[in-house]
Amino acid sequence: MSDLFDAVMLALLLATALAVARARDLVAAVVLFSMYGLTLCLVWQHRGAPDVAITEAAVGAGVTTVLFLIAVARTRREERR
Amino acid sequence: MKGWALALVVVVAATLAIGVQGLPTHDAPEAPIHDHVGARYVERGVEETGMRNLVGAVLLNYRGFDTMVEVVVIFTALAAVLALPRAGSVADAPEALPVSPVVLFVVRLLAPFIALFAIALLFRGHVSPGGGFQAGALFGALFVALGLVLGRRGAARLVPERARPWLQAAAPLTFAAVAALGWALTGSFLGFPQAPELHAVREAMALALEVAIAVGGGVILGSLFQTMEA
Repeated sequence: MSDLFDAVMLALLLATALAVARARDLVAAVVLFSMYGLTLCLVWQHRGAPDVAITEAAVGAGVTTVLFLIAVARTRREERR
Repeated sequence: MKGWALALVVVVAATLAIGVQGLPTHDAPEAPIHDHVGARYVERGVEETGMRNLVGAVLLNYRGFDTMVEVVVIFTALAAVLALPRAGSVADAPEALPVSPVVLFVVRLLAPFIALFAIALLFRGHVSPGGGFQAGALFGALFVALGLVLGRRGAARLVPERARPWLQAAAPLTFAAVAALGWALTGSFLGFPQAPELHAVREAMALALEVAIAVGGGVILGSLFQTMEA
């Protein structure tokens, strides 16, 4: 059960990380990155580090998402080709 | 160019994969992390530092210098953002941007609970997972969420303008003060007094550091958001 959870989470991490790198739309990339942070938060919790999980959820999935969105809003939405 | 990048990624990934094979398993008792300083922290940490949470003992005591410079790094990040040329000031910003009623309702509903959870993490941090950095991260997330629904001027009212620079620098300043106090009491910079009669002083020093990390960290995250948005 535990190994299955780890495998699913790691697959999800890999998939979201690749999706962030491939996304041309930067808003989509930011949302995917937030998803990556939330998945990582679950991994930390599962690994017995609730304090790291809290920080990951608040900063990794929350605050950086907002800061990235502001940065995208102030520049341009599409990645330069 | 793309071929080279792909080749580089494959080489680095293969090297990492080979390296991971050599790592000890997660629970191996003979793993290097268990027979160097870690073993001593676990065996004598409570007795040597007087803290019941070993994570706190490592953060503030064994690795106190690390933590001190960490808060300086976070403060420096804010200083760099504040030094950027700004588009406009808070004063001439619109009062509040239109916000979805769903977001408004959810933030209003959750804000007191997030604040309560952050305070609990801060003041229960000596016995359970949590502490200054976690509480600061939550305070920062709360400031950002409130900033989204209150608008720039409303969010600026959350922290009084005159106190703001002091709160932004709270963690480095408190570290400096506590380190100097430790120096006066023990003869070593950032030293914590070991004598039983100074137990209360030691507790107060640790608490001051935790509170300053939480408040300073939270205000810095909120200020980063406000400065970037303005």
